Amino acid sequence: MTDAYKIIHPNKYFEDYISCGERPDERGFSDHRSLLLSVHSIKTAEASAVLKCGNTAAVCGISLELATPKAEEPDNGFLVINVEMTPLCSSKFRPGPPSDQAQVISTAVNDVITNSKCIDLKDLCIVSDKLAWVVYCDVACIDNDGSVIDACIVTLMASLKTLTLPTVSYDVETEEIKVDPTVRIPLKMSGLPVATSFAIYQTPQRNILLSDPTSYEEDMCGGIGTNLIVCWNEGLLCGVQKFGGSNISTEDHKELFRVSKMRSEVIREAIITCITGDTEELSESPK
Amino acid sequence: MNLSIGDVVLPGDRCDEISKIAVKSKVLIGPGLRRESDNVYITKPGILKKRNPNTFWVDSYQKRYIPSRGENIIGTVIQKAGDIFRVDVGGSCPAALSYLSFEGATKKNRPEVQIGDVIYAKMLVASKDMEPELVCVDSHGKKGRLGVLTDGFVFKSSLSLIRKILNPSCPLIDSLKKEWPFEIAAGMNGRIWIKANSMRETIAVGNAILAAEYLSDEDIKSMCNNVASILAGHLS
Amino acid sequence: MKIEPEKLKHHNLKPMKCELNYLSKSDGSSILSQGNTVVLVSVNGPLEIKSAYQSMEKATLEVLFSNKGGKPSVADRFKENVIRQTCESAILGCLFPRTGINITIQELENYGGLVACAVNCTCLALLNSGVAMRHVVAAVTCAVDDVGNLVLDPTHEQIQSSQALMYFVFESSEKNMVTGFTEGKFSEDTYLEALELCRSASDLVFKFYREIVSKYCSVIG
Repeated sequence: MTDAYKIIHPNKYFEDYISCGERPDERGFSDHRSLLLSVHSIKTAEASAVLKCGNTAAVCGISLELATPKAEEPDNGFLVINVEMTPLCSSKFRPGPPSDQAQVISTAVNDVITNSKCIDLKDLCIVSDKLAWVVYCDVACIDNDGSVIDACIVTLMASLKTLTLPTVSYDVETEEIKVDPTVRIPLKMSGLPVATSFAIYQTPQRNILLSDPTSYEEDMCGGIGTNLIVCWNEGLLCGVQKFGGSNISTEDHKELFRVSKMRSEVIREAIITCITGDTEELSESPK
Repeated sequence: MNLSIGDVVLPGDRCDEISKIAVKSKVLIGPGLRRESDNVYITKPGILKKRNPNTFWVDSYQKRYIPSRGENIIGTVIQKAGDIFRVDVGGSCPAALSYLSFEGATKKNRPEVQIGDVIYAKMLVASKDMEPELVCVDSHGKKGRLGVLTDGFVFKSSLSLIRKILNPSCPLIDSLKKEWPFEIAAGMNGRIWIKANSMRETIAVGNAILAAEYLSDEDIKSMCNNVASILAGHLS
Repeated sequence: MKIEPEKLKHHNLKPMKCELNYLSKSDGSSILSQGNTVVLVSVNGPLEIKSAYQSMEKATLEVLFSNKGGKPSVADRFKENVIRQTCESAILGCLFPRTGINITIQELENYGGLVACAVNCTCLALLNSGVAMRHVVAAVTCAVDDVGNLVLDPTHEQIQSSQALMYFVFESSEKNMVTGFTEGKFSEDTYLEALELCRSASDLVFKFYREIVSKYCSVIG
């Protein structure tokens, strides 16, 4: 019966849930889905992480390479982030070259990392103008059930946090490179940026913010993907992106910042607990 | 912000004046206006106009034609598909013209229409959800001025220019027809068909019309005299 | 967040210059310069499009952003997305179902505030094309300099030395924020203050739109 109702009156169905103060998956408006995070799952990669957030799943692997720095930035290493939306994650993505939507997600993830300045590219340089690390981060979305950007950033951060760089000695005269994989130093990171997605649903009375939306909720709220992404790092905002959708008032803004800040703390702790104490399920306590 | 007739308006402006009148009497809102619950909003940039009693619209500049019921248009036949001709009218999809909607046409007696012919027709059905439909007869089955336009020359212009030259107060056609004979058909879809005695005269009419877009009534009159004297060979 | 009215009087945006109907063959076009940044936009539509892209409910927007170099990049897709989502809310797409509206944006000069200029120019081109719109939109840029002061509509040099950069797009009827995105790090209060500053500055852009439209109306009418 409810299934038929959902198909015949898709908007009314969703509205009925919202007017009762609940979402179709029984969460409250600002509740998040539970997380399942695991690190070091891919043994062939230098560092890796797998995340499941509700039904959304993403995996990140990091590989390392040595290269000569760019002539215009001789002190900087390279951090190459690529997000892949495979056709298996959603019917919206087709095989072949990355779609516009996939490129937008990739840019958004890249922007968060650059804007938060959590990694100083100078740390990746070994010898100025001669030798530097190239860190390839490949993020793949396995199952897209909304809030993909959040999931990608969490896996990426967890992987980077566990990444250790082998020590390298470079002889300037003979140009000989010696890599010692037994002695490894962890990558320096300042903070852990965490993004929180929101969907804005317009009702005649007010606009409702749904945090960590599923792809069904994203579709009901219009637009492509989530309407709003807020990213925190070390108590500072490092990205507020809103694409179309309905308006939000100043009070909503404050609420939005409160929810996302709280969540960024929870996720940061989750990542750290996961790294220190291997895999464990971390369920977020509803407020 | 309070809007009054003759003002320059932008999309999103709210027109309280119209909704105030609407409480008391019937109001007709035309192109460029939109009603949402009890308010009237502007949707196109331009000048707010009014005609008594209580008809409002926005006069705006536009090049792309959006089919609208009852307008006379000029189109080109691009396809013959069974019972209908498909006519390109410059809108988002071609319009359908049944071969029976010509004067005196029957199943046996099909009208002579070829692909590439220019048609002067009336929009019978124009809805955003349906294919537009044209007819070449009026409600009495008479063709009037509608039908295939033979010979002549067709060119495109903006939709506002068509409205300007078809306005009875516009002196352009009156001044031109005094100078030399020609036939003209102006479609509301931004196409004009002209037929004159010579190529030179056809081009002169076409250029005069296109030049009129940015001229005032006074300037149009002097421009027409100017064109006529060039054509007569007095000026070069 | 309140800003004293005194402060608002001194809003200054970089000089804007615009020409509508710049291209003869497209349905609507405009060229806009904001300071030294110049963008050209052409709008075509509503037109017939491939049935795979058609939507039963509303017009499909196709946005193409070409940068100065001409080589397509991933960052351009992001800009296209920003502009498409912004225009989607502004255009009354439900009046033209199963059709497409094409927007082509050509960057000519970039001295900062490119996206803001592109959004404003797109809006002017849409006005010129006569596509029915719900409201007009105005984009305003704001930078946070190295000591934490807000700089409205920053110049190229100010952007280079700034620690954060924010872009906001507002609609004309309720002055609500339609789109916003940021670069760099900043605090919550700075964000809200910048939002209010840009909201009041968007009036200048709307005033400019009205001036341009009345200039063209007086010629055509």
